[in-house]
Amino acid sequence: MSDARLRRVNKEIADCKNDKSSNINIELIDNSPFHLLGSFDGPQDTPYDGGHFEVDIVIPDSYPFQPVKMKFITKVYHPNVSSASGAICLDILKDAWSPVLTLKSTLISLQSLLCSPEPNDPQDAEVAKHYMTSRTSFEDTARYWTHVYAGGPAPTSATPGGAVPGKASVAVRDEVAIAGLNKAHVDQFEAIGFERSKVIDVLRRLNYRGANISKIPDDKVVEELLKA
Amino acid sequence: MEREDPSIRDLPSAPRPRAHELPDPQDPRTEWINEITEDTDITSLPTAQLYELNQNLLDSSISSATPLMAELAPLTVLRAEYEGGSDSFVKQIDFLISKGYEGIRRSRGDGDCFYRSLAFAYIERIFNAEDWGIAAAKSISTLEAFLPKLHEAGFDGMVIDESYEIPRDLIRSIVEPNPGSNNGQTLTPAQLLEVFQNDSQSNYIVMFMRMLTSAQIRGNPEEYEPFLTHPDLGEQMGVKEFCEAVVEVLGREADHVQVTAISEALKVNVAIAYFDGRDKDGNVEFVKFNKAIDPSEAPVTLIYRPGHYDILDRRSIEALPFNM
Repeated sequence: MSDARLRRVNKEIADCKNDKSSNINIELIDNSPFHLLGSFDGPQDTPYDGGHFEVDIVIPDSYPFQPVKMKFITKVYHPNVSSASGAICLDILKDAWSPVLTLKSTLISLQSLLCSPEPNDPQDAEVAKHYMTSRTSFEDTARYWTHVYAGGPAPTSATPGGAVPGKASVAVRDEVAIAGLNKAHVDQFEAIGFERSKVIDVLRRLNYRGANISKIPDDKVVEELLKA
Repeated sequence: MEREDPSIRDLPSAPRPRAHELPDPQDPRTEWINEITEDTDITSLPTAQLYELNQNLLDSSISSATPLMAELAPLTVLRAEYEGGSDSFVKQIDFLISKGYEGIRRSRGDGDCFYRSLAFAYIERIFNAEDWGIAAAKSISTLEAFLPKLHEAGFDGMVIDESYEIPRDLIRSIVEPNPGSNNGQTLTPAQLLEVFQNDSQSNYIVMFMRMLTSAQIRGNPEEYEPFLTHPDLGEQMGVKEFCEAVVEVLGREADHVQVTAISEALKVNVAIAYFDGRDKDGNVEFVKFNKAIDPSEAPVTLIYRPGHYDILDRRSIEALPFNM
């Protein structure tokens, strides 16, 4: 009955091609219909807006009775996606899979996952922690990744000067911005003689921003910097 | 697989905040380990991978055990299994035999046993009906009339067609020779069993039964919602949530609500013999779900042992193929 699997997958690919409204694409990667490339646009009003995301799809032997295997090819900064491997933590790809789901509906679920992260069930614990500790900083990073890896627009909030002089300086400036820190603060501690990356790490860890700054004495920062 | 987009190759790698140095450290195990050997410390595996390992073990232990649907066996075989144990179970078997139930057809305990058993018993009942032509036509018309409800429940049209095909063809082939298969002959009991023992075909049937159940619940929320509870946690659940998590996922057991819903969808009487060893006198309670248009119609009878359903039969051995 592997014919049934082939028939179903072929129907699903055709169905996706015919359906222009969902904006979900499925293509063959090699000549096998069991290894596919899915893609969709990042959802609006999220840090993924403007990006185009590609997903590697492998159809298991007993599909649709076993969940389809999916992982992001495009790097995504999201609590439920491994920032290194693209592995996805989503219940329907595991124990909540149902044969009534299709490739299209699963890709739509991935798209919705980008809208609503589940930081309590993370795939990437570090990203999840970033999401929970500082939402703005998390979103800046996610937006930056969308720009760099998914072809999204250049993040404007991270470049308050307006014009972008060059890629290298964007990265340097963004390092402070996406950490949600103030450049002046980073410069201040760097001037004492600490490595810039350490300063950024420590200030982020201390949540050195906004109203917090007045509560964190400079010597506490220095103490942490010496430990780092 | 590795894919490299040349347009991003020249860009600097995105700076990555070292969030592991932030307060409140959490489990950093997120990356899958490719090679697992005897020496692998399983505590180093990410949760998702550990889950998959466990699941694979569970799957393999289930699949190697019993067929998805077994041949009919005399109830005395079941009696022999219980003879060393509790007397009340043996008494209950004797009770069932005294009521004319001679056989049991076991199904694999994979969480789909209710749906698979009910589907088999439902189709076999049409096969064994005095006027099987009418029984088959009635069944097809009930199912056809239900199809729009599957669409209303939000299932993909292609998925509906695909899952309906196997049960429909089986029921049709009771009456009309199926030119596509079976050498142009009508269905035999052995072939019916064969279909239910084939992983893919059998699972398509289970999937169709689950879809019927889900659509029945989704289409009548006021009737079912008060009774929808999480099978493990006992918490109240919404209709959509319940159907997606408990009904539509393979391997999730059926409880009273699902039995009621599918009996209603199939318009069939279902009786379930509770074989739980509780009654000291050995009486067996038959819980009845009478949803057939004719309430006196003989029910499809299943036997329930806590956590598992099989089919209860008045015959003790497989019928011989009469139409060969």
